[in-house]
Amino acid sequence: MPVSVILMLGMSAALIALFVGFRVHVTRSREGKILAFVALFALPVMAAWAGFSEHMDRAESTKFCLSCHIMTDFGRSLYIDDPSYIPAAHFQNNRVRRDQACYTCHTNYTMFGTVTAKMHGLRHLWVQYIGTVPKPEAIKLYDAYNNRECLHCHLGARNFEQGSAHSKAPDRLSLIKSNKLSCISSGCHEFVHDVASLKDDTFWKEKP
Amino acid sequence: MIGTPVLETPVVERRIRWASLLIVAGLLVQLASLLVIHPLAFVAFLMLGCPLVGIGIISYLLALVSSDSQGH
Repeated sequence: MPVSVILMLGMSAALIALFVGFRVHVTRSREGKILAFVALFALPVMAAWAGFSEHMDRAESTKFCLSCHIMTDFGRSLYIDDPSYIPAAHFQNNRVRRDQACYTCHTNYTMFGTVTAKMHGLRHLWVQYIGTVPKPEAIKLYDAYNNRECLHCHLGARNFEQGSAHSKAPDRLSLIKSNKLSCISSGCHEFVHDVASLKDDTFWKEKP
Repeated sequence: MIGTPVLETPVVERRIRWASLLIVAGLLVQLASLLVIHPLAFVAFLMLGCPLVGIGIISYLLALVSSDSQGH
């Protein structure tokens, strides 16, 4: 639903609720009771749900993730001009949606993956505004990166299933699929954000 | 003054008025949070806007139930 529609819905709900609040005697009539029910129950529930849905969509956006200052370097790392950097290569070549780049790779593709990500987000906010903010290079994942997040897109793809590096050893593919051999382990796709060395990198300049 | 009729707002109507004010306040917080894309806006929506609207709706429903039980 477009934001303008949600804002209109919310404003209408607020205005009608305000009317009922200041002209509360209208609720003495049958029509007034119906108006009160719409103004104080139906419309607020609809507006709140639409707003919640919009906020959930926004929380998946790259802009949302990078809106905290500490994430700036991680955002810059998406523009490193080196295809061996996995996030940069995915971002620059549209292998992930650019407006959802962080969420696509950093949400767990499990039943409660989104909820877990939101809970982590609340903790990040706490650290950002109440706690001690670490240096960007000191930020680590909660758990080792799970291949499941890569396989969400790559599983079944020809260049994954038949790629020479993946089928070099007979059991390599099964080790990758069972998460026993990490995709980002040493010697494979090991360059990820690497924000500590950003000052030495060159950056891709996207044409406007 | 003696002899002057005092028109008091019935209790149920006062409760509805309070409920509407809570709902309006909650909706305004929710609307304001939609104007910016930032994690704090999301938290304000969830921790401030939603509870205000929720308490307002529950107050309204309780007002209806109480007025019903009093035979209004």
